[in-house]
Amino acid sequence: MKTFIILLQKEFRESWRSFKFLWMPLLFILLGITDPLTNYYMEDILNAVGNMPDGFSLSLPDFVPIDILMASTGQFQSIGLIVFVITIAGMINRERQNGTATLIYVRPISFFALFMSKWVVGSLLGILSVSLGYAGSMYYTAILYGSVDTMSFIQMVMSYCVWIVFATAVALMFSAIFKTAFATTFTIIVIPFGVMIDSLIGQYWHFSPWKLANYSVQLLSDTHNEYYIKTLLLTIILLILAIIIGILFTRKNAGTTKI
Amino acid sequence: MIRIEHLTKVFGGEKVVDDLSFVLEAGTSTALIGPNGAGKTTTLSMLTGLLKPTNGSIRMNDTQDIRKEIGFLPQYPNFYPWLTALEFTEMTGKLNGVPSRDAKKQAERVLDFVGLTNDRSKKTSTFSGGMKQRLGIAQAIVHKPKLLILDEPVSALDPVGRREVINLLKQLQQHSTILYSTHILNDAEEMTDQLLFLKKGQLVEQGSLKDIRTKFDSFRYKIQFTSKEEASLFATQSQLPTTVEESYAFIEIKDGFPTMQELMSQLIVLPFSILKVERVTMTLEEIFMKVVGQ
Repeated sequence: MKTFIILLQKEFRESWRSFKFLWMPLLFILLGITDPLTNYYMEDILNAVGNMPDGFSLSLPDFVPIDILMASTGQFQSIGLIVFVITIAGMINRERQNGTATLIYVRPISFFALFMSKWVVGSLLGILSVSLGYAGSMYYTAILYGSVDTMSFIQMVMSYCVWIVFATAVALMFSAIFKTAFATTFTIIVIPFGVMIDSLIGQYWHFSPWKLANYSVQLLSDTHNEYYIKTLLLTIILLILAIIIGILFTRKNAGTTKI
Repeated sequence: MIRIEHLTKVFGGEKVVDDLSFVLEAGTSTALIGPNGAGKTTTLSMLTGLLKPTNGSIRMNDTQDIRKEIGFLPQYPNFYPWLTALEFTEMTGKLNGVPSRDAKKQAERVLDFVGLTNDRSKKTSTFSGGMKQRLGIAQAIVHKPKLLILDEPVSALDPVGRREVINLLKQLQQHSTILYSTHILNDAEEMTDQLLFLKKGQLVEQGSLKDIRTKFDSFRYKIQFTSKEEASLFATQSQLPTTVEESYAFIEIKDGFPTMQELMSQLIVLPFSILKVERVTMTLEEIFMKVVGQ
């Protein structure tokens, strides 16, 4: 427990000094406020910059708040998620490759504590970024489109955070198994590409972690989704599995650290 | 006391370390000597717990987790660039079980010892090679380990840094057990009780420097001529077995023969000049070559 606290402190210090806790939330805030603003002002933007032919009329759909939050989620799921998981996928293997892990691994630490310290800090970074991103999106959505039920909104954000925590665990697991290049590739295939694949051919199954983000936004609507709980549980089970595999490989690959 | 028995490491079918057995007595210094690729670093990595031995055991009295009792300095220590020297030393001390309230004091003390008092609040990314080596020593001794393991502690340093580090190690030697690797025998001369010679993963020779010298050393005459041609000419004329290196001729001394007088009587009739005649012992480098060379 004591080594966990020391390692946690170290991870926080690193993330703080490399400004991760600044630019990651900023990225998500930016992504979050883009959709409410651009959609609302689309007509003005087109009028101002576009040379529309005479008689051209564009009928934009009338959005409701849930559409905008869905669009923001889409932003998080593509650009935001790619940047986030790439950051996480280097947390373990980079230390092994540049040799900084050596002076930690020769000490009486548990690899459980080592993995968990990184997972906790990565997850908190993700939760903070996503919460602020949704807050930014909600702020402008509320001003421009109208509000949603507060409790449902909080539920949605928390539910999406489960997905982010899951993505953190998977990226860290790959970080423990492979070198940086492979870990990054596999993480991108499994997480952001997984989301794309699921959205393309996902109608053939009803619950998978990759659907959790969309199901989370649906919590805002009145329709009841019978698959939501199953998806949530499956995500949590796979998350725990990723953590266990990650810890085992952190220990197994300790000897690959550069000496 | 640390007892290493039948230590073996196989990488892809190749025995990098082959059935190593030796003992490190408490309070002694041991040098692991061998050319590059002899298996020195692999041996040290197994002792630190970074690598699992394929076979064999490492036992330190009754200690379960040997990592608690060792301090390790890699050949090229790498530090987190975003931490200061003091923060890093304090953290590593805590990870080794130094109580939180003492950790900072203890870290300051070891940084003073290695001469980094004025640089302790600087980020390690600004450190030079010599400073990193000294910080490496600080983090290795912050928890007062029973065994200090150093991988090529001075090989990468310039003469000044080398001297500083050797002096530090000499001080540490007085109250700890040290095991270090080197491919430079001269470094071992100053601070070693026991020498272990590694060659292709095998222990080919072990003992104190004095033992090794007695076993491998030989006396010989070294005669300096003005040119290589003259030295060669002397070698062909001489009745004694002679080897030539540049403008030097060497004659082995076996059981006290030939005597200096006998040699002189041969040299005195030569038609060319001799610059110098002396009776020499082998240099450490030559002994090294003799023990681990082909």
